[in-house]
Formats: sequence, C-alpha cells, structure tokens
Amino acid sequence: MASQTSTAGNRLRSILRVADLGRFGMIILLIIVLMGVVALVGAKENRVEVILASFLATLFSVATPLTLGALSGIYCERAGVVNIAIEGMMLGAAFFGFIASIYLKQAGLPDQMSLWLGVAAAVLTGALFALLHAVLSITFKVDQIISGTVINILAIGITGYLNRQLFFQGNVPHAPGVLPVIHIPFLADLPVFGKIFQQQPVAVAAVLLVAITHFVLFYTPWGLHTRAVGEHPKAADTVGINVYFVRYANVLIGGMIAGLGGAYFTLESVPSFEPLMTNGRGFISLAAMIFGNWSPFGAWAATLLFGAAQALQINLQYYSTSIPEGLDFLKKSQIVGMIPYILTMFALTGIVGRTTPPVADGQPYEK
Amino acid sequence: MTQSEKPSSESHSQSSLQNIWQAITRAVLVPVLAVFTALIINAIIIRVSGGDPILAYLGLWEGAFGSPKAISETLVWSTPYIFAGLSVALAFKGGLFNIGAEGQLSFGALISAWIGFALPKLLGTSLPWILHLPLALFGGIFAGALWGAIPGWLKARTGGHEVINTIMMNYIAVLLTSFLLNGPLKDPNPFNVIARTPEIAESARLTPLIEGFRVHWGIVIALLIAFAVWWFLWKTTLGFEIRTVGANPDAAKYAGISVSRIIVLTMSLAGGLAGMAGAIEVIALNHRQELGFSVGYGFDAIAIALLGRSHPFGVVLAAILFGAMRSGATRMQFLTQIPVDIISVVQALILLLVAAEEIVRFIYRIKAPKETVVLTRGWGG
Amino acid sequence: MKKNLFTLLSALAIVSLALAACATPAPVAPTAMPAKAFRIGLVTDVGKVDDKSFNQSAWEGAQCGAKETGGTTKYIETTDPKDYDKNIAQFGDEGYDVIVTVGFALGEATIKNAAKYTKAKFIGVDQFQEKPVAGVGGLIFPEDEAGFQAGVVAAMMSKTGQIGAVLGTDVVPPVWRFGEGYRAGAVWAKKDTKVNIIYHNDVGFDKTFTDPEWGKTTALSMMDKGADVIFGAGGKTGNGALLGVAQSKKGFAIGVDTDQYLTVPEAKEVLLTSAMKLIVPGTCDLIKAVKAGSFKDGNVVGKVGLAPFHDTESKVTAETKAKLDEAQKGLAAGTLKTNVAPAKP
Repeated sequence: MASQTSTAGNRLRSILRVADLGRFGMIILLIIVLMGVVALVGAKENRVEVILASFLATLFSVATPLTLGALSGIYCERAGVVNIAIEGMMLGAAFFGFIASIYLKQAGLPDQMSLWLGVAAAVLTGALFALLHAVLSITFKVDQIISGTVINILAIGITGYLNRQLFFQGNVPHAPGVLPVIHIPFLADLPVFGKIFQQQPVAVAAVLLVAITHFVLFYTPWGLHTRAVGEHPKAADTVGINVYFVRYANVLIGGMIAGLGGAYFTLESVPSFEPLMTNGRGFISLAAMIFGNWSPFGAWAATLLFGAAQALQINLQYYSTSIPEGLDFLKKSQIVGMIPYILTMFALTGIVGRTTPPVADGQPYEK
Repeated sequence: MTQSEKPSSESHSQSSLQNIWQAITRAVLVPVLAVFTALIINAIIIRVSGGDPILAYLGLWEGAFGSPKAISETLVWSTPYIFAGLSVALAFKGGLFNIGAEGQLSFGALISAWIGFALPKLLGTSLPWILHLPLALFGGIFAGALWGAIPGWLKARTGGHEVINTIMMNYIAVLLTSFLLNGPLKDPNPFNVIARTPEIAESARLTPLIEGFRVHWGIVIALLIAFAVWWFLWKTTLGFEIRTVGANPDAAKYAGISVSRIIVLTMSLAGGLAGMAGAIEVIALNHRQELGFSVGYGFDAIAIALLGRSHPFGVVLAAILFGAMRSGATRMQFLTQIPVDIISVVQALILLLVAAEEIVRFIYRIKAPKETVVLTRGWGG
Repeated sequence: MKKNLFTLLSALAIVSLALAACATPAPVAPTAMPAKAFRIGLVTDVGKVDDKSFNQSAWEGAQCGAKETGGTTKYIETTDPKDYDKNIAQFGDEGYDVIVTVGFALGEATIKNAAKYTKAKFIGVDQFQEKPVAGVGGLIFPEDEAGFQAGVVAAMMSKTGQIGAVLGTDVVPPVWRFGEGYRAGAVWAKKDTKVNIIYHNDVGFDKTFTDPEWGKTTALSMMDKGADVIFGAGGKTGNGALLGVAQSKKGFAIGVDTDQYLTVPEAKEVLLTSAMKLIVPGTCDLIKAVKAGSFKDGNVVGKVGLAPFHDTESKVTAETKAKLDEAQKGLAAGTLKTNVAPAKP
C-alpha cells in the first residue's frame, strides 16, 4: 500500500508499528465502542455495571474457540505451513471427543472422568487431522490450501455421516454433561464483575495458552527454531535445524490446540453435537491471527473483538425494544449478525497496520 | 493443479487422433481411479456401519439414471453444478481460490428474482420476453460478478487473502438474503408465510426442454458456457493472461501484464459464473427465490473443479457425476434408509484422493505430468 | 507399468465382488410387496428425523401409526426445497396409502401432489388449509394456547418480574405463535411482567434450530440481566437455553414441543414444564383414521398442553397452579382468547 503522508507522519507510524500500539489501541477502542452502544441502549432497563459485566462474561466465553483456533494457526504458520483446516480439525475433535466421553460413561466411568478423557480424545483427534495435513502438504507437497480444504470437507462428511449413523432417532446414550465451572479464587467473589471470572476449564486454558505460546515462541530455543524455519528455511537448514521435523511438530501442536478448541463445543458448552456446529469460527480465528500479526497477544485481542461482536448481537436483541427510532436497522438481527464477518474483512485490509506473515509461509520446502 | 501436457517429441510419430485419445486418457485416468477407489472405500464404510452397499449403490444408480425422469432430475441438479464448478475452475486457473461460489450464487439468484418480479411493477408495464429474460439473466450474472469482485479487489489492493474474504462474503450473503426475503422482498400475498419472493413474471422464465420434465434450457446454456470458458481461457489473449498470472505472477509482471487488474477480472468472472448458476435456478426452475437451506454448492463446486482438473470439459463431467449422486441419493435413502450424509463422505474421499493424487499415482503406479499452478502464496500483505 | 495397473484393477474388481458376496441378500424391492400392505411415507422439511423436534415427533407419529395399523413406514429427508415434488413422488409413484409431509413450507407441494396422486391421503403437519382440498388433511395446533399457559406459569413463578424466551425464528409461524402466546399469557397473569424474546435470526435456516451453543449463551446473557424464567422454544437451539439455565442454577426453564424432561435430563432440576404440541398422537390418530376410512379433508386441530411439573413440582406455588388452572379452563371453554394471529404480520 502506498504511503502518502509526510515524513513526520511516517516517523509516528513506524514507532507505532514497532510498539504495535496502533493495532492494540484500535482493537480496544472498537471493543469499547461496541460495549458503549449496548450500555447506552440498555441503560433504561438495567444498571450499567450489570450490562457491562454480562457483556464481558459472554465475550470471554464465546471467544474461547476463536482464541484456540488462532493459537493453532500461529504454531503452524510461524513454522511456514498454512493451515486453513482449523475449522475441520475443531469440528472433528468436537465430534470424536464427544462420542469418546459418551462411550466411556457407558462403560461405567464416572461423569467427570469421562469428560476429561473426552477432552484428551478431542486433542488426539485434532492431532490426527493435523498429521494428515502435515503428510499431505509437507511430504506429498500438495498445495497447502487444497490440503486444508480437503480436510475441512472430510471432517464435515465424516462427522455428519457418523453422527446420523451412530445416533439415529435420538438414541444418544446420555452424555456426561459438561465440564464444571471454575471459580478463580478471589476474583470470582467480586461483586457484579465476579461472574467474568467464573469460567469453564477450556476457556481458562485458552487464556493461559496465550501467555505460554508467547513465551515459547519468543523466549525459547524451540520458538527460535520455529520462527527460523518459517522465515528462512534454507538458512535454518544450513545451521542444522531439521526443517521437516520442526514443521511436522508445529503442525501437530497446532492440531492439538485446535482439538482443544473442538472440545469447547461439545464438552464445555453444550453436551451435544450438531453438524457444522463450528459455524465458520475456524476461519474467523485465522483472520484473528492475521489481524494480530501472528503474535499470540495480538491474536487474542482480535478474538476478543470478534467475541464482542457476537455479544453485541445477543445484547442488542435483548434490548431491541429500547433501541431508538433512528437506529432501526440495529433491531434486525440479520444485519447485526453480519458485524463479525464485516469486521473480519475489514481486519484483513490491513488498514490498521501492515501485517507481516512469516516469509516462507505457504511454501513447501525442497531440500 | 496439474494439466496434462504431452511431450512434443511424440506428436510427429503418431496420428493426431491417437494423440488426442492419449491426452484424454492420461487426463482422465487419475480422476476416474480416484472416484472408483473412493466408492470402494465408501462401500467398506457402509458395510462396517451396518448398511448394505450393493443396495445403496443400486439405489443411487436407479435414482440417477434409472428412468427418463431420473435422468431429467440428474440434469436439473447438474446444471448449477456446472456453472459453480466452472466458477471455481476459472479462478483456479488464475491462481485464485474462490470459496465464495455459494454466496455469489445466492446473491445472483436474489437479484435475478428481483428483476423477474419487481421490474414490470416498477416500470408500470409488462415486458416482452425478449427483453425481460435476458435482463433477469444478466442481472444475476452481474450481481454474482460484483460479489466476486469485492474480494478480488481487496486481494489486489490490500493483499487480503481471497480464501477468508470469500468465506466471509458467503456468510454476509446468507444474512443479507435472509433479511431481504423476510422483509422488503417478501411475497406480500396474505396467504404466504414463507420467506420467499413472489413468483417471477412469465416473461422472465426459461421453458422446460421437454414437456412434462423438469430439465430445462439451462443445461444447454451450461454446456455452451463451458465451451465458451474453454475457448476464452485457451484461445484468447485475456485468457492467456489469466493463466499466466495463475502459473507465475512474477513472470506475468515482467511480461507487462497488470497482475492486480487480472486478479479483479478473474474473481469477477468467477463470481459471474456462480451468479449465473443462481440466476438459471431462478428463471428456469423455481421461478422465485426462496429461503432454503445451505446445500453446500460452494464446497461441492471446489470438489467438482478439482476432480475436473480445472478444465471446463472435465468440470462438466464431474458436475454430472455430483449431480447424479445428489439426485440418486433420494432413491438410495428410500431403499436403504441410509442417511444422505454418506454422499458427503464419498465426495470427501474423492476429493482427498484427487487432491492427493500422489497417493493414487502411488497405488496404481502412474507417472506424473509436469505443469503445476501455484495457489498458496501466503497471506500477502 | 501397464501390467501392474492391470493386476491392481483386477484385484480391486475381485474385492468388490467379494463385498457383493458378503453383502446380505438384497431385500425384496418395495414394489413387490403384497398389495394389501398399508404403507406410510414421510417427507421432512427443514431438519432430519432425529432433530428432537417436530420432524422427529412426526416420524414417531408415523411409526406409531404403522404399528397400530399393521403397516410399514419409511421416510425421506429433504435437502433442498426444489426436491419437494421429487421426494413426495418417491412415495406417490409407489402407490403409498398415506404420505405425511412435515412443515408449513411443504404446504403448496402437498396440495399440488394430492391432485396428482389420488390414491394417497396426505397429512400435512403444521399446514393450515385455507379451504379443504381433496385428499389433504392439515394437522394444525394452537401453539399460542400452549405458549399462553407457559407464559402464565413463567410470570407467576418469576421473582424478578422479568422473564425471557429463546426462540428459533419468527419466520416459522408455529414458533412465532409460541412466543407471542407466551407473552400474552405472562401479561395476562401479571400485568407488569417484562418479557424479552430473542430470535436466532442471524443465521441461515439450517442453523436456526440446531444451535444449542447460541441458545445457552443467550439464556445466560438474559439471566445476567435479571430474567429468571426462560422459555426455550426452537428445537435444539431452545434446548440449549434450557442447558444454560441448568448451568446457572439461578432460575427456571420451560421446554417446548415434547416433554423435554425426557430429552434434556441435564435440565431436570430447573425444568418447570414444557409447552407441548402433541404431534405424535395427532399424526398417529390421523393415520389410523385413514386406515379406518374416517379420514376427512381440511383442517384437523391437534392437542396442545403443558407437561407435568416433574422434579420441580414442590417449588411450584399454589398461586401458580391456581392461575394456570384458571387459564386452562378459560382456553378450553373459549372464554379466554390469546389474540395471537396465525402468523407474524
């Protein structure tokens, strides 16, 4: 994109870019705007703090799969492998984790244990799909986007079919429920805002993983190798790093994290599986990753923004009778429902700042 | 994406008919084997989960080709698949991944339906067939083209990857359609509660091909368009430019081709083709636009394009195959009560084997041809 | 290379033949069945026969009908509106005796095909017949009355005076009527009750009724703001709302269509009742009527009602029961009107 402003403007822009403050600032601003709209509209019915607390609680909860999806993408892409199969991985993991937990409960295990083992099964499923993606794109050098699309379609087909075949006519053996709500000590007891800190395990894990990923990626030798392979595989090879191994490993890790994201749907949110229940969130998390410039905290901020958009839709519908006349279009949930998607496209335009993907992203490595 | 190119040394030693035959078999071999293998694997899956694969495939065949009516239904399903498949295939040739066929189709159908029922009212007069029909058709095409041009422009201008943008446009199209069909464009007939447009005027309809059957002129148009796309891509300069950008954008730039212009053009054409799919459905089949459920034209179109090796003639064949499967699935379900989702599994397997043609080649020991199109260039920016 | 290819292909051919041999012998094709067998076909609309909602209920009704008449039944799930005629034709061409079409969207196709297949009697679930059409029985339900009763219970049981509803989409008349009936009943029982209704209009038709995650998130959001009784009416989406209430434990929930106590046991502790639409007996009875020869064209009004209180019985106040009783008597006698239109204007 051409830069047309003066040198002073350029100076400012380069400082902002390094600190990435411009990006974060924009994101926080947008979230505040969305919350503000809701608070203004709903003030007639509820106290403002109640509205904000409710909004934030919803936001963090729905952002969970997006966060995990974005982290998954970061691991894969930082190593140079484009992974658009996050959607399929999450869907597949949601399904297989779900049936694992059901069959374990049927086999006699207590509910909680079945659930946790179900989570393990979900993570494993994610890893298996990721293995397929890795084999196809790294070893067979199939175009990475095609490989990813194939996995998505495969996941949809297999889960759709098995879901009908195994659970026909509602003969679903009873699911062991959902993972319990964790009360974060101290914070959960805050008045009004305490409910934000009462979240379920996967949601908590997602936030922890953001910090862990940041640490691993930027402060460990493993992270260094990964980034080297993603930026300059030839050079990394010369230094003795096994490019194939690093890529395989990172794709598998990414798959496991996507699998954890899948566990959110059927083991944490609702104890049932619906075809296509991921509903595009795998793709939105990719956009969040790009918007966050391939960094864990940046991507997390972006997912919070998308979560805010979803929370906006629910809250505006709740207060639809209080929406002032002129803003009638806000009453139409279809219109409001478009906001996350328009936001995503907006994010990809790079208007907030240029994003720099890993240099070797998407290129199969030839020794 | 691979294309069959025979080495030039052979061209002198054999007759041209033999050359053509060889080229066709070589091109068709891997996809055919992929389909065959997928059906076998699928039969195993059906067997393992308690069904009867022979009866299932029998039902599929009967439902797709077992009677004139069945064939008519298969062609009805194949028509939009041909257009959508061409849409994705054309984009592939240009190095772009058009996942937005679904949204482009939907938007095209919407505008087409609107022109079909609203235009006479707006102008206050009924329109002659010779004017109304083309207007409805081209309205849908342009609507689809617009829907494709937006992600195309975003890619050219900002580098935003078309994979995500087209997927987003799909969701936006669904919501927009839902909003319009429930509101401004809803059939005002007091007896109607369904979210759909009024029927389009007679003057905007395309007639059936044969009395009593649902198959319509759309299939003829589809075949003509397939030919036109082939001719465009391989016999015109613009088509050459598109293919060059697809094969090697840097080389294209050196050759003086404006890459961004071509990207926008490619996406617009792809969008227009998908829009045509929607438009034809409206003017020839449903005579209105109705809020239905997501059939998954989008992903099917990708599978069709890949199976057809992004070549218009291959796309036609693949589209008929998929149309047959969709159409025959009803009979299969009737006979065996197997869930129709099994078709998705077949399609997924076909796709897996075609995409990973290495695997098919490895199994059947076939040599690989040369040319490839690079699709993944990272996220741009 | 060619030899390998040939060997492999023959191997595959042998495998397929082996599969054919192992396969169970193909069952006799339906057309060869004795002409006396009473055959019932079912065509679904949005959704599949195991959607825990009205498609499933209709299918169970068809199965009940088959059992009671000694007949057989099959179903076809529609995947695209343009296939309505084709799917109905599958049954019509085979000479089925009863064809059940589920959902108001199939209304036109039903009427059209009834004229074509005069042997079959058509049962249109949720299809209101403007005027009687030969061979078509429209099985309709007064959903608004069921919703009304649910609203009465909700308003009386609410401690905050705020209640909510999570619904599929207002485009589907039965769903909208449930919601508006709920509102009417609540206001009738206690005038200042605040009723917030949220529809899942922001997704396509295929997702509207199958998004329990959204239902749960929405219910939780509503409860954060003070609503303490939530009516979940929208297939699996609505059931998600029930789960949300179960998780928060801070209020009550009311289910829809069938007694959700049985299908959503996770919500046992908070489920007051369900606004039921008795599709299963309604369909079953109509099928039996066809067999007995007493089938009449035109509209047949099915029954609606509230499910028993189950585990929450002890928490239901005496005033609630009294008010509900009053409402039910008034509705049955016709003195109490819900004033809900047949569809959203």
